[in-house]
Amino acid sequence: MNHSIELTTEPLDVGAIARRIVPASCGAIVTLDGFVRQFTKGRETQYLVYEAYEPMALKEMTKIANEALAEFPIEHVTIVHRVGRLEIGETSVVIAVASPHRRAAFEACEWLIKELKRRVPIWKKEVYADGEVWIEGDSSFAS
Amino acid sequence: MISINVKFFGATADTAGAREIAFDVPNEATAGAALDFVVERVPALARHKLLFAVNEDYLPAETQLRDGDELAIFTAVSGG
Repeated sequence: MNHSIELTTEPLDVGAIARRIVPASCGAIVTLDGFVRQFTKGRETQYLVYEAYEPMALKEMTKIANEALAEFPIEHVTIVHRVGRLEIGETSVVIAVASPHRRAAFEACEWLIKELKRRVPIWKKEVYADGEVWIEGDSSFAS
Repeated sequence: MISINVKFFGATADTAGAREIAFDVPNEATAGAALDFVVERVPALARHKLLFAVNEDYLPAETQLRDGDELAIFTAVSGG
């Protein structure tokens, strides 16, 4: 299988995840390390809570990985998203794309995070000193 | 009537005060009609822009539901 998809409550180590699978034909891995931002539009976040519709999230992550593998000259896609409570600076998502040449891996990685944020049923709650709010995404997705 | 299992996540779970509710809806109800039916019974949901999925898949509003189907109702996703 040329993708690896996971949801976990455990801390993520981008370097370890990126090196889990390195096809011998590949010369580059591009990784995205998405982590919890302290300030959003000037407001300070204390921590985040991520919730997933887990079976559907895994299906949608698998779909976007397969679409990327069909669309770009890449050889392996790893997507790992953390759920539960995350502190400032902790990694929430890792995407790692391995390819023979770097350009396709950069392009596929950017495409994958855009699609993840558009389609994969995961929600983020920002918790502040004086309240909390579930963030509603910018764009909706329905086929 | 058929029985469907409605699931809520994040903002919709907080608004509905539940993560899962079983509803009886008319036979041949579409996903769109079932969504309207749920919002009538939980009017506070109307303050969200709602998306839905049927049996863990994004499907059109015209999709006909069957007994035992799972209808997930949620807001625009915000992972990443």
